[in-house]
Amino acid sequence: MATRTTAISVRGLEKRFGEKTVLNGIDLDIHNGDVLCIIGPSGSGKSTLLRSLAFLDAYDGGDVHVFGRMIGWRETPLGRQRMSAKELADVRRPLGMVFQHFHLWPHMSVIDNVTLSLRLVHGVPRTEAEETGRAMLDKVGLAAFADRRPDSLSGGQKQRVAIARALAVKPKAMLFDEPTSALDPELVGEVLSVMKALAAEGMTMVIVTHEMGFAAHAANRVVFMDGGKIVEEGAPQPMFAAPKSERLSQFLQTWRERAL
Amino acid sequence: MDNSLAVVWPALLDGLVTTVAVSLSALPLGAPLALLLAAAGRGGRLLRSASAFYVSFWRGTPILVQLLIVFYFLPFLGLELEPVVAATLALALNTAAFQSEIYRAGLQAIPMGEREAARMLGFSASQTFLRIEAPQAFRIMLPALVGEMQALVKNSSLVSVIAVTDMARRAQQVAASTFRPLEAYASALVLYVAVGAVLAGIGLLIERRLAKGVGR
Amino acid sequence: MTSGFLSDLPLYASGLLTTLTVSLAGIALSVGTGIVLAAALRSPLLYISLPIRLYVEFTRGAPLMLVLFLIYYGGAQFGLVLNPYVAGVVGLGLYGAGAFAEIFRAGFNAVPKGEIEAADMLGLTPGQAFRHIELPQALGLTLPPSIGQAINLVKESSVLSVITLAELTKVAGTISSITFAVVTPYLTVALLYWAIVESLSRLGFYLERRLAVKGY
Repeated sequence: MATRTTAISVRGLEKRFGEKTVLNGIDLDIHNGDVLCIIGPSGSGKSTLLRSLAFLDAYDGGDVHVFGRMIGWRETPLGRQRMSAKELADVRRPLGMVFQHFHLWPHMSVIDNVTLSLRLVHGVPRTEAEETGRAMLDKVGLAAFADRRPDSLSGGQKQRVAIARALAVKPKAMLFDEPTSALDPELVGEVLSVMKALAAEGMTMVIVTHEMGFAAHAANRVVFMDGGKIVEEGAPQPMFAAPKSERLSQFLQTWRERAL
Repeated sequence: MDNSLAVVWPALLDGLVTTVAVSLSALPLGAPLALLLAAAGRGGRLLRSASAFYVSFWRGTPILVQLLIVFYFLPFLGLELEPVVAATLALALNTAAFQSEIYRAGLQAIPMGEREAARMLGFSASQTFLRIEAPQAFRIMLPALVGEMQALVKNSSLVSVIAVTDMARRAQQVAASTFRPLEAYASALVLYVAVGAVLAGIGLLIERRLAKGVGR
Repeated sequence: MTSGFLSDLPLYASGLLTTLTVSLAGIALSVGTGIVLAAALRSPLLYISLPIRLYVEFTRGAPLMLVLFLIYYGGAQFGLVLNPYVAGVVGLGLYGAGAFAEIFRAGFNAVPKGEIEAADMLGLTPGQAFRHIELPQALGLTLPPSIGQAINLVKESSVLSVITLAELTKVAGTISSITFAVVTPYLTVALLYWAIVESLSRLGFYLERRLAVKGY
């Protein structure tokens, strides 16, 4: 199941919200260095799948292993038990997450946002943390904004700070939940550039997105979801050029019509 | 225990009539003054100051003190009013201050553009007010007005201090006559809370009916 | 009239002191209880959150006067004899706790859940997330309504006069029964309350501005 090169492995993943089954048996392996895009119509379960990888939503069936360790649940002789908060934080450590609505902490400066976890969780002293923080901000092109407040930033800038914040704690894999969906069109590019650069450096990335251009050019794998299942997966260019399923065909068609 | 409880409820319900009557009268009695105050807030400097002064005083002093001042001051004006009337008057003067803030906020909440659009379509100022601004303002202000009504019911308990036989005074009488203050006051409290809940329910019903009419 | 007023000064002073201390104690008890209640309201266990919810709704509609009677006279029925001061503080505290609980609950709810998720993903413990992310933001949100509620409790403290506590309102009554001047004492006392309320208001604005500067 988990090999040396597997970052995250998913087997038979199921998730229900009340009566509704949102994830209906997902099998997926994400290898180190993969840039995987999850695409699909609204309600297909894309975000739920991503969030389940980090156990931000508790899955009901199947399992998710993160760098060899099952996340969220412990198998005991009495059945499945929830992990303690401490254990969960430990398993989550190698993961970084970027949210659709950025979720920067508005009452702190940008640099404090980026360094808070380094200082509080990783015990890094302030001066060293600030060095790392500023380096990360520089990486996303926002070195000059370190002492600003989040509310003085544009959406694109906020999201780049969020990426810097996630990078500062040196994750082994990064999850992106529709990172550009909440942005004005002209701000999308600056965030995608940062993400492309990360991908080029070899970061393992799982991205839920509607940006087909990004999926086509920056991803090495694409997964198309519909109705809680993976309908098609493979390398983006061949998949988009010759979709095997009717559903993907329709989906790509509507996207092409809109893009023009 | 059975004996005293049998005495408690009829007495409290009798007092409830007075409580509701006083509260229910004070609200509409204070409304015209409140509208004047809200309107004065948009007027000239003198009007604004006078209105602000009134509102600040009646919102910034305890209701009990207001009741007592009105009650004792009226004879000086040559008015010999029944305690019930004096009490209702004092509550009306008080609620006017609070309502004026509600009306001010409610009228401000309507976008200027709607007023302008109405005038461009030929509506007169009063038509605009009656058909466009007032109905919307009312819907916006309804929750706050329900809250003010609930506050009035609560505050009306203080009129018992100037010898008005409302529910609070009845509770005191029953507590004294049965030697069971706990049951008497607990029952009265439950009744007050119940009235508040009923008011909230009525408010919700009105809100729903208004929403139906608009179809938003 | 003036000489009478000067000789009454010590009485006004002691009344003012009592009002200030009993209000302060009542507010402190309210805030402390309110914090505990707000935390309990967050519990997923229904048998904890539901009774608290009922308590909060109950104190909304309950008049302070009857709550005080319940504690002071009703308590005596059980052998719980409290002096007016303590009964007043407890009454104010329990009466005001509901509103503070609601203020704190709303304040904490207003912090976006996503910010907590981000904190979780970055490894912060729930305690760290609470201290560094939730609390600072909630504090800024809850301060204005908290000042408002504190002001309300100061005004409500005048009701403590009905359980014979010698605070400002009772003092006014005492002076009027000695001097037979009725309106002046109550008017004086009204102005004193007004001064307290205005000062608290100003303090509130000042604190709000200071928090805004710090960036909360």
